[in-house]
Amino acid sequence: MANKITINPVTRISGFLEIEVEVEQNKIVNAKSSGLFFRGFEKMLKGRPPLDAIYFTERICGICSTAHSMASTLALEDVLKIYPNENDKMIREFMHGSEFIQNHLRHFYQFTIPDFVKGARMESSFITSHNDYRLPEEIDKELSEHYVKSLKYSRLAHEMTAVLGGKAPHNHGIFVGGVTVNMDSAKWIKIKSILSDIKIFVEDMLIPDVYKIAEYYSDYFNNGIGYKNLMSYGIFDSYTDNRAFYVAPSVIINGQYGTLDSDKITENIQNAWYELIRDEVSPIVTTVNENIHKENAYTWIKAPRYDGYAMEVGPLARMWLSGNYNRGISTMDRTIARVLEVKKIIEIMEVFLEKITMIPSNQGSYEFNQEAYGKGLVDTTRGALGHWTSVQNQTIQNYDIITPSSWNLSPEDSNGLKGTVEMALIGTNIQDIKNPVEIGRIVRSFDPCVSCATHVFSDKYSPLEIRVV
Amino acid sequence: MLKKKRRCPIYDSKDITARKMMDLAVNDIKSNNKNKINLIWLEATGCSGNLISMLNAENPSADFLLKEMTNLKYNNSLMFAEGDAAYEQFLDTLETEFILVVEGAVSTRDNGQYNIIARYQGKAITAMEAIRIAGEKAKYVLAVGTCASFGGISAAAPNPSQSVSVPQFLNRQVIRVPGCPSHPDWVTGTIANLVAFGIPELDELGRPIMFYGITIHDRCTRRSYFDNGIFASRLGELGCMFKLGCRGPVTRTDCPVRQWNGYVNWPVEDNSPCIGCAGERFPDGMEPFVRF
Repeated sequence: MANKITINPVTRISGFLEIEVEVEQNKIVNAKSSGLFFRGFEKMLKGRPPLDAIYFTERICGICSTAHSMASTLALEDVLKIYPNENDKMIREFMHGSEFIQNHLRHFYQFTIPDFVKGARMESSFITSHNDYRLPEEIDKELSEHYVKSLKYSRLAHEMTAVLGGKAPHNHGIFVGGVTVNMDSAKWIKIKSILSDIKIFVEDMLIPDVYKIAEYYSDYFNNGIGYKNLMSYGIFDSYTDNRAFYVAPSVIINGQYGTLDSDKITENIQNAWYELIRDEVSPIVTTVNENIHKENAYTWIKAPRYDGYAMEVGPLARMWLSGNYNRGISTMDRTIARVLEVKKIIEIMEVFLEKITMIPSNQGSYEFNQEAYGKGLVDTTRGALGHWTSVQNQTIQNYDIITPSSWNLSPEDSNGLKGTVEMALIGTNIQDIKNPVEIGRIVRSFDPCVSCATHVFSDKYSPLEIRVV
Repeated sequence: MLKKKRRCPIYDSKDITARKMMDLAVNDIKSNNKNKINLIWLEATGCSGNLISMLNAENPSADFLLKEMTNLKYNNSLMFAEGDAAYEQFLDTLETEFILVVEGAVSTRDNGQYNIIARYQGKAITAMEAIRIAGEKAKYVLAVGTCASFGGISAAAPNPSQSVSVPQFLNRQVIRVPGCPSHPDWVTGTIANLVAFGIPELDELGRPIMFYGITIHDRCTRRSYFDNGIFASRLGELGCMFKLGCRGPVTRTDCPVRQWNGYVNWPVEDNSPCIGCAGERFPDGMEPFVRF
């Protein structure tokens, strides 16, 4: 007989996630990932002025708002067929890079290491759900100090975003046409100085810290593996200078490398709390509506698939696809790749700093008179983020968002294919069934963001196919 | 409203920084052996951006607030424990003296089922229920961020999750600390005031006057451009943002003098309009955010 284990809240993530697993003879035989949070951004966006999508969609997520400002801006630029000059592009990608640093530092120190380091905590009393702490006292103490120390550097990462974008979270500086900041040498030297401070922290503490954890928890190289199908929409991939190149839009499926074809992206709502409804006014148009009473459904997260496959997105996917990491795919590899990516991103940001010139921003005034459609696909902190929009008469007709965490945390689809995290959990050995610490560690290695992941959308102008059974 | 005995309120409010409040509060705790008060920071229907903003706090820093000023007992993003052990920590804290911070609106659709924050002994716990039971027992309740304060983005039309603000939901005094996100100083300063002196002076909407007493327009760093009729016609221009739809004239915060993230910048100085993110009518009443 299988034992059922439910963990809710899965803490130290963004948003509200429940993980339910069935365990037989200390092995996970089935897993369900449930996002338990719904706001309905796409519904809200309908009828609003198109440009407002930038500052509006940022509010989907407090920890990765810059990501949404990037994707929404790219989608609107695609609608208008305008493209920023290289200087403005580098400035806003610098802001996006700062977001990566902020996220990864906080994910590693505030969200991940409390799983492995006894003293890393904000609470004054010690309450935990397990007792599998293996670091020697001295190392535990050192990493606990770094937990606090890191706060300064994640804060400084956001300060760089604010220098260029006004404030963070929810910056104002990334906008259609490029950026709103007029670069000057005072700003330039400020961010250069901050970046160099952060780099020292990353090289001297962050990277050694992850390897210390890996040494004492090496069994985590053997779990949390999953499908090994990886995907990226690409980021820092449009510069002629190779030093500023990171990863191209690409996939690996069953070991085969390929370029990304975004027409192969579909979404499936079989096990999510959505249903297809008919629009009474124009019956050809189908819309997806939320229905919490739908039978057998267990999540607000839909199931995006690429060519029918459930894909892993995020730092490990990027580092692997770009040839920067190839040790393996597992819980610990995911955590190491995230840490190593910080250094990679900093190096690219250094190239931007070298090339950015002190010329004014290049803003225009924008009108959305034509009926047009646009998409913005970009890799962000947690992985592949896509915004799709159609506009008409100066308003948004439709807005669709598929976030990285939707890829990673998706439910089973109508073909019976499990979601990426679900698959990564199945087969895991649980040492102590009363304290199943493995589950939270595996799930956190994907850096879930449920605030982002749950949306409802309609498919009128959408490239996305919705399968309903 | 502002007391007459004060000198220029602009300078007064600049003096009363969060740091000063924190120092006074910490001294108070040390000299009188006052107990640190417990803190529950509940994330509800929002983006958790107020917590991220709070982690950006400096002097006082987030760990100073959470370790020296208060005892953090429950927070989904930061706490050690998970599952039942985490929720038990929430329940245990209800029996003590505590401050309740809520960020995010209260999703009321289908009795709160659109935002479940825990499953305890098999039963789903909605954010709505958690806010209700903690709201009844808390010594102070702070609605941090615009969603918790006024509904905000989470309650934007057509409000699919039927979200309402915390003051609207709870039948008791709630201090509003709006902003999208709320500035870390507004949060730490308000909590420090509570610990050291009790409830700060509030306006008619329950906002601390020290942070929300004066409109952005009244002390805008680009006010002279407005007075001289120099208006930006597109983003990125040095000029007053009024004609691009700036909501500074109807938004009360101290952004222009305090500034953000290490006090280095704020949206208008980044050549973009204020979108009134701390306002009661954000976002629906503040749109379009940008108009040409």
